[in-house]
Amino acid sequence: MGFGKIIRLNQIIDPSDGRSLVVAADHGLMLGPIKGVIDLEVTLRKVIAGGPDAILLSPGQARRLHHLFTGKGAPAMLVRIDWTNAFRDKTYTLPARSIQFNRVTTVKDAVKIGASGVVTYLFLGFDREEDHMAMVEEFSAECEYWDMPLIVEPLPMGPRVTKANYVDMVKMAVEKAVELGADALKVPYTGDPYSFRDIVKVSSGVPVLVLGGYKALSIRDSLEVISEVLESGAAGVVFGRNIVQDQNPDEAVRLMKRIIHGKETVTDILRERIKPPVRIIVDAEKCSGCRVCEIACSFTHEKVFDPSMARLRIENSSTGVLFTPYVCTLCYSCVNVCPQKALKVNSKTGAVEVSPELCQGCGICVETCPAGVLKLVNGRLFLCDLCNGLPECVKWCSRNALRVEGGW
Amino acid sequence: MSLSGKGYAGGVVKIDLSSERVEKAELSQRDALMVLGGKGLGALLLYNSTPKYVDPLSPENPLILATGPLTGTLAPSSCRFSVVTKSPHTGLFLDSNCGGFFGVELKKAGFDVVIITGKASQLSMVIIDDGRVRIEEATELRGAKTMDAEKKVKKRLNEEFRVLTIGPAGEELAPIAGIFTDLRCAGRGGAGAVMGSKNLKAIAVRGSRPISVYDPEGFEKACWRAHRRLRMHEVTARSLPTYGTVNIIETINETGALPTRNFETGVFSDTWKISGYEWRKQLWKRDKACFGCPIACSKLAYISDYVVDGPDYETLWALGPLCGVSDREAVVYANWLCDAYGVDTISTGVIVSFVMELYEKKCIGSEDIDGIHAEWGSSEALLKLVEKICKGDGVGRELRLGVRKLSIKYGCEDIAMHVKGLEMPGYEPRAAKGMGLGYATSDRGACHLRAYTADKELLAYGGAVDPVKIDGKARLVVDYQNEKALIDSTGICFFASFALTFREIGDMLTTATGLPLEDATTLKTIGERVYNLTRLFNVREGIKRKDDSLPRRFLEEPMPEGPAKGSVVELSKMLDEYYTLRGWDENGVPKVETLRRLNLDLILNIGN
Repeated sequence: MGFGKIIRLNQIIDPSDGRSLVVAADHGLMLGPIKGVIDLEVTLRKVIAGGPDAILLSPGQARRLHHLFTGKGAPAMLVRIDWTNAFRDKTYTLPARSIQFNRVTTVKDAVKIGASGVVTYLFLGFDREEDHMAMVEEFSAECEYWDMPLIVEPLPMGPRVTKANYVDMVKMAVEKAVELGADALKVPYTGDPYSFRDIVKVSSGVPVLVLGGYKALSIRDSLEVISEVLESGAAGVVFGRNIVQDQNPDEAVRLMKRIIHGKETVTDILRERIKPPVRIIVDAEKCSGCRVCEIACSFTHEKVFDPSMARLRIENSSTGVLFTPYVCTLCYSCVNVCPQKALKVNSKTGAVEVSPELCQGCGICVETCPAGVLKLVNGRLFLCDLCNGLPECVKWCSRNALRVEGGW
Repeated sequence: MSLSGKGYAGGVVKIDLSSERVEKAELSQRDALMVLGGKGLGALLLYNSTPKYVDPLSPENPLILATGPLTGTLAPSSCRFSVVTKSPHTGLFLDSNCGGFFGVELKKAGFDVVIITGKASQLSMVIIDDGRVRIEEATELRGAKTMDAEKKVKKRLNEEFRVLTIGPAGEELAPIAGIFTDLRCAGRGGAGAVMGSKNLKAIAVRGSRPISVYDPEGFEKACWRAHRRLRMHEVTARSLPTYGTVNIIETINETGALPTRNFETGVFSDTWKISGYEWRKQLWKRDKACFGCPIACSKLAYISDYVVDGPDYETLWALGPLCGVSDREAVVYANWLCDAYGVDTISTGVIVSFVMELYEKKCIGSEDIDGIHAEWGSSEALLKLVEKICKGDGVGRELRLGVRKLSIKYGCEDIAMHVKGLEMPGYEPRAAKGMGLGYATSDRGACHLRAYTADKELLAYGGAVDPVKIDGKARLVVDYQNEKALIDSTGICFFASFALTFREIGDMLTTATGLPLEDATTLKTIGERVYNLTRLFNVREGIKRKDDSLPRRFLEEPMPEGPAKGSVVELSKMLDEYYTLRGWDENGVPKVETLRRLNLDLILNIGN
């Protein structure tokens, strides 16, 4: 590797820990005017306040926003050098009949803009693979000449890709990117750490950055994915929509950096954000009646799937189509009414706890509970322990019908 | 070795309504390894327990309800069960996959599979109460609408029961009758008539046995990763949750694949009036999910004093554009009628559009159809015809037999839109040729869900594939059919699988069952085995290459307008390639070496 390449690559990937958080903001080129890229400069100012290692832009935006990349501590600039229609937003545009792609700039121009690296796709699984390979091969040669790091994004795409072969296709595409001379890779997460470890292996030491894709329902999801891929050997991530479409892009970047460079765990971060007493907030309007909260609860506490063993309940309306979640509201009626004084409040989480040796199973608390979520099962009192401060019901709810203060 | 506690409930129950005999057996581990559950297990049991040419409406034809190893667990959208039987509509294999809560409750009652044979002496219901099975008369439910019957059964027994019912159409053996539960249904192919032929109005189930898995910690992790994938995927986190399946209708129209006026064209100019956005703004008030589903694709429309689960894309299309109708309230009411009387909305819509085309071509006049002026786009005609079909009233008695039988009577087979007797679904095959091959080779007749190539051909998920070209379509259809057969055998919903790879599904299956299922190739082979199994059933019934066809309109009449203008389906070429890839002979019969490769010779009673 030439000196120029080494220096530039070190601007992208922190040499002190070999890790990187890249923010992708080149969506306008592929997807159109989506949320977060419409007023890109405003978004990017927030992103930069969080301190990412690098930002990926299209050539036009890189020129327009060059001033964001000057000065000490500014992020490195990556430039997207190809275009494709493969991801175009389906809402407003007629899907094209085939996958199209093209280069949008040269590596020489990227050098002139001040880029520390260039990014290109490499699709595998469609009928124009040879043309795509040829394009990436050209980029590779140019990058070699200009000492510009080439970041290749190998993606399974097109008719030959199915659910069954997806992981194998990623592996094959990564291998090809490495063979073509990629200096770093931007790889899709395959969904589980085992298969991803294999993919990191295939990369032969070329740093693997994981792409984020569609915006997750909560920041917790993205933080977990980051943590998982780092454990599997990735060098970091290239996240776009999960940052630029977040309400607080700066905060999103900071949290991600704490995982990537700070080596903190997701649980640590969540515990810091969710302060006791943990109160579960219910929004019945949003509840779809899926019962995932109930089985997640029964599984967490009893290792089986059975809504009747949950510490919360979803009530069906008489018409069967309206649903109301009932959870422990920390009203402590049960604590006050217990004749054995068997119930007490956990000072850390605010949850009610039962001392099995004091509880006689009289059931007075069950009758008193205004939410109707206490129950006696075979003499055992089932009550919400707030999962030690991070309630599983809230974690699994995909509709925000259940939330916690300070939430995730 | 028992599979109980390893994702499976571990039990199979056989109920014979004639003798009122109830037999319980353990689920075979060999069968589970070979075909998992759901569709696969149902198909295996059906093949092995029925003779050739069994009359679908006879007591001998079993009605099989089969859950999968993931049904009722934390796996995303783990609500599914399959209704498997021989179809009275096609005379062939039928599996109809259904959501809701019934399958989950069945497993909690201790059974993965229920097999019902025989015929009750009077209208009856089967009650499965925590492992105990009884048969009770249900004559008071005669003629009850599906939702009313469900309510009455719950009232009679207990609100905790989950109930499958048929509507009046099922009782009257209409071959387009479905089976209903929790506003969901196993709609296609006439399973409701099979139930009706057994004098069985309802099946109620309640269970208190928790579902457990082989490796709880590993399973929980795998399920959470799968849920997280759904939360990070555009289709499962935005498109389906926001607009249900209707989210695609504008794109399908823009690609020229929205069948309009009985497949005369693929472009419907009023599509904007029935877009997901409009439904959200006007009639849909709430979302409703099946058990364990983070997607909640069901949208509830509230109109005066009734609630309709829908319309979903297929229903909206069949009762809307296919008949030239864009009147939302008419579609909702027609949807409600179909649900209440218990018929398949797709078949109903195709029958109505068939009548409208006959009327347009002056093959029939209003005097032939009880004075209805069956003009394209007329909401009034739509509602009158749907009502007649639902109630079996007047001309409706004949119409509900389906377009194949009607076309023979009227001598107009060319415009009868069906494959093997099952009415066509809502993707124009000339504008998406993979869908065309998929319909022709689907195991239950024209079905869009056996090989949903529309995702790549029309919706461009994962990159666009030229919908009009035929290159590579046979491979795509084979892959998709195998993968879908696997999904339908697991107990999770096809929609959840949009966000998942087989590796992730394999992780859930392995940790749930303790069986070696983590490998994507193993799963794909199971899917292929199941698809060959259903093919063998159909071959036994006499299906040949000539049956793997499409209505003449698609093969000979060029598409008149839109992006696919001028195109016809070059079916024969695709079919040759398809058979070769499948390892079937030129007549579509699986070769002996194919069956051996898939170990089907080991589990089938090929003799009968």
